[in-house]
Amino acid sequence: MAQRTRQGLFALAVAMLAIGAWLGLSWAPPDREMGDVQRIMYVHVPSMWMALLAMTLNFACSIGYLLKKSWAFDSLAEASAEVGMLFGAVGLALGSIWARPTWGVWWTWDPRLTTAAILLVAYAGYLALRRFVEDPERRAVWAAVTGIVAFVDVPLIWYSVQWWRSIHQIQSSPKTVDPQMVLTLRWNTFAFLALGIFFIWSRYRVAQSERRHELAAPPTLPSAPQGLTASGVRL
Amino acid sequence: MMLDRVLPLLIEQLAAQYPVGAGRIQGGWGYVWASYGITWGAFAVYSLSLWLRRAHPPMPEEHQ
Amino acid sequence: MNARHPPGLLEGAFLILRKDLLIEWHTRARLNALLFFALATLLIFSFALGPDTKLLEQNAGGYLWLAILFASLMALGESFRVERENASLDGLRLLPVNPRAVFLGKALGNAAILFGLSLVLIPVMVGLFGVSLALGLGSLGLILVLGCLAISAPGTLYSAIASNGQARDVLLPLLLFPLIIPALLAAVKATSLVFQGDPMSQLNSWLLLLGGFNLTYWGLGVALFPQVIEE
Repeated sequence: MAQRTRQGLFALAVAMLAIGAWLGLSWAPPDREMGDVQRIMYVHVPSMWMALLAMTLNFACSIGYLLKKSWAFDSLAEASAEVGMLFGAVGLALGSIWARPTWGVWWTWDPRLTTAAILLVAYAGYLALRRFVEDPERRAVWAAVTGIVAFVDVPLIWYSVQWWRSIHQIQSSPKTVDPQMVLTLRWNTFAFLALGIFFIWSRYRVAQSERRHELAAPPTLPSAPQGLTASGVRL
Repeated sequence: MMLDRVLPLLIEQLAAQYPVGAGRIQGGWGYVWASYGITWGAFAVYSLSLWLRRAHPPMPEEHQ
Repeated sequence: MNARHPPGLLEGAFLILRKDLLIEWHTRARLNALLFFALATLLIFSFALGPDTKLLEQNAGGYLWLAILFASLMALGESFRVERENASLDGLRLLPVNPRAVFLGKALGNAAILFGLSLVLIPVMVGLFGVSLALGLGSLGLILVLGCLAISAPGTLYSAIASNGQARDVLLPLLLFPLIIPALLAAVKATSLVFQGDPMSQLNSWLLLLGGFNLTYWGLGVALFPQVIEE
């Protein structure tokens, strides 16, 4: 049942992305100043939003794990960090590509780009930590601590870098932007959200499976998703 | 005066020799296609990696 | 401390601090190595960036804090080495010492070592980079204290995590560096203002940022450290 839902979600996401691409590449009008290059916004912005959403989920799960030692929290934290990295890296690359024709440079130390880059390195560290610790319970605790610390740092990084000159776009409110652009952006945002949920859900299942193999749960019925680990922690 | 009628014509002719752009970035479709291509490519590769790592049902005889 | 009264938080922290600093002092070779490493780093910066004294002077704040940061990796990596080699972390866990006290003691110890190091580096900066203390030693001292505390809190937390793993040399900088960028930024900016003067009174803003950063990270460290060393 859950398998069908997941597959349906994937199909939905792909369909929405396809429509979103048509909206972004053809239906939406070119920007008054940036011309057609502005169409990159429809993939760049949803990507970054998904990355932030995933990192927030990681933060919540990290806290959740420290409060209640459930493997579900740990697996979900792992999944959301990895998917967040994916969207973040894509978003950063797209931002750089967009910057080239509009600002004339591939990179600039503006607050958003800088913060995004720092965040990516921080979560790469998180994923590296997960890879280097073998004991599952230790790994879960330390990863949770690292995830919490990294997330709390985000506003600090943001404000410190903010005090340098920023040439990033001032966020335009929908009222001042062409309604076709607003619709295109909204549609693509939901498309990316659907895909992101699918990715996190699937990656969560992979993580849970790995956990089961690692912890060598005592023989249970193959169909039962739950078991007890050697130390009595519920899967 | 003659100048009233000649001057605008002169200016118009002068301006036609120095065309100004529409005030927007022209073209740039290469960047757009690169962006969308990277996005789809990354998603496709990640989807594949998820499928390759897909969860296998636990074996009943597995033990330490 | 006696058998009937386990040490309180601050007393426990002080005991750990004293123990660590005494160990470091008795084996001064390591402290010396730390100092020479920082000096060598400063020297290399001045060579790598060429003889343009104007440039060196302008960026001196950055070089100072980079040298302190690199040295901190050595100092922090050491932080749990004694415990790891002698398996005495178990001993610490068994003793009725609050793990938060362990964190406070160790982090303060690391901060003290870094601060001492930075004090020694200041005259070197004046000599090598030709900087002058436009805003005075007091302001500089405050920035050094806040900066060293800011590196030490997350550094000690991550040192406990990294020191137990396989790739501890790689993991500590990878985890620590992104996180302390705000503190580093603030410290460098503030130091540059001290060296070059502060016509627009920006120093307080940077000090506030450093202060806020410290509050956040010491708070997080005290809150999360017990989970990190728990068996």
